[in-house]
Amino acid sequence: MTNGESCNGAPGEGDFPPIVPGLFRLPEGGESEPSLLGGRCPECGGVYFPRPKYCPKCLGETAETALASRGSLYSYTVVRIKAPMGLPEPYGLGLVDLEESGLRVFGLLDPATLDLCRIGLPVRLTVAPMGTNVQGTPCLRPFFTPIPEPGEGASR
Amino acid sequence: MTGAAIIGTGLVPFGKHLDRSLVDLAGEAAYLALKDAGIKPDRVGLGYFASASAAAFMGDMTVGQNVFWEVGISRIPIVNVENACTSGSTAAYLACRAVATGQAEVALVVGAEKMFVKTMGLLNSGANELDTLLGMVAPAGFAMRAARHMQEFGTTAEQLAMVSVKNRRHAAANPAAQYRKPVTLEEVLASPMIVDPLTKLQCCPIADGAAALVVTSAGAAKVDRRAVKVKSAVYCTGGYENPQDLVRWETDYRACRQAYEEAGLGPKDLSVVECHDAFTIAEILHYEALRLCETGQGGRMVQEGHTALGGRIPVNVSGGLLSRGHPIAATGLAQIYEIVAQLRGEAGPRQVSGARVGLAHCMGGDKAADSKSCTVVVMAN
Repeated sequence: MTNGESCNGAPGEGDFPPIVPGLFRLPEGGESEPSLLGGRCPECGGVYFPRPKYCPKCLGETAETALASRGSLYSYTVVRIKAPMGLPEPYGLGLVDLEESGLRVFGLLDPATLDLCRIGLPVRLTVAPMGTNVQGTPCLRPFFTPIPEPGEGASR
Repeated sequence: MTGAAIIGTGLVPFGKHLDRSLVDLAGEAAYLALKDAGIKPDRVGLGYFASASAAAFMGDMTVGQNVFWEVGISRIPIVNVENACTSGSTAAYLACRAVATGQAEVALVVGAEKMFVKTMGLLNSGANELDTLLGMVAPAGFAMRAARHMQEFGTTAEQLAMVSVKNRRHAAANPAAQYRKPVTLEEVLASPMIVDPLTKLQCCPIADGAAALVVTSAGAAKVDRRAVKVKSAVYCTGGYENPQDLVRWETDYRACRQAYEEAGLGPKDLSVVECHDAFTIAEILHYEALRLCETGQGGRMVQEGHTALGGRIPVNVSGGLLSRGHPIAATGLAQIYEIVAQLRGEAGPRQVSGARVGLAHCMGGDKAADSKSCTVVVMAN
């Protein structure tokens, strides 16, 4: 799977760069979902997102670590004024509590399902072309989308 | 430590000053403060100039030196201060600490901003910051705090809007406020939605403006009957711990606690407060960080009228950022200006009767779901 396809392998979306290199990785091996990339300190074990170069506790040089792709929406809002960087209008922003690390990460929300947002909503990470980067080029952005209830379709 | 005192204040009313330069606005505020203090330029030994955007707008740096020369001050140390919304109050913090430790007898602090420029959009935390690239804008962080506060404590949209109604009502008595017309609860709730649940009238407007203070050591101020004592001046930066609790704002609580400890006072001792009401939810959260009420009770507090002029603990009787507007670096100093007026008994129709102790609280900068700075200054007459 190339860097330019969306995470479900849809063809024809062109070769889009990620909004920031090293921010996320697309599914590897048997995975079905992309992951945000945090930093893990090899000296004290601290895990951070975004990945800092140096561990804030002990200055160890951090290693890249894939974070859990799933979590729960801690809070959210919908931005209804003119969107920057070609983002959708309106667009959603939230803080998600990730499984495993417990990190509370800031991220975009799926613009197609803003009406489903509620505190506590189970969400999963996805990656797709959304908006443009600092150079004005269309790019991939990570965002969180609701996990379907059991009984609904497994993929969207 | 001998402590500091404020012996002069100046303010250029906030609004649209399209035909005036930044240096002109700042110079006027400096002039007014020096006149109010009754001192000549050659007595000032230390200067601070705050502006978040001066260098960008003027295409120059070291703008403070230009401002001070407008009022005949040169040769002395002049520090240019930028700290987002706390630029002005951080400059005041530095001045109070400097005179209290004997670095100078008299310090002049000036803050100014021009914001009515074509390219001004919503403030963000920097074009290359990850959060900005993912769509973060300044109001969104506060909107997420509002959502949590409503979820955890049942705070209502109406209670949020009441902050705007209260502060506009206060501003009717403040000639320095940009927006002085009262607004109704319905108008606030019906104004365009910016970031759910914050509507336009729940977000502070931009403004041009300037403010200034003359700060001396407490000893030198003893002969001045209008001098206001600085009981504590505190500046904390963010902790950025993860996870951040959006309601129990650790940086906010920490700065307020430190200010009370250093002043040897508590919330019950306060007569009047100016706090950073950049958005309605912000004022509610700051009631709680200041321990004016229990965590979660801020919505009830405004609803029951406790923070209105005439209430138990009036907050933002100047009209706050919501009514004055928010010329970034002038705001922190305008808050202190108001508290000084109150403690001198010179606030006219806004006067809180018998005011003895006042507090000015300010925050600025977003990072990692936290604020980058928080300042608290406690004053007494």
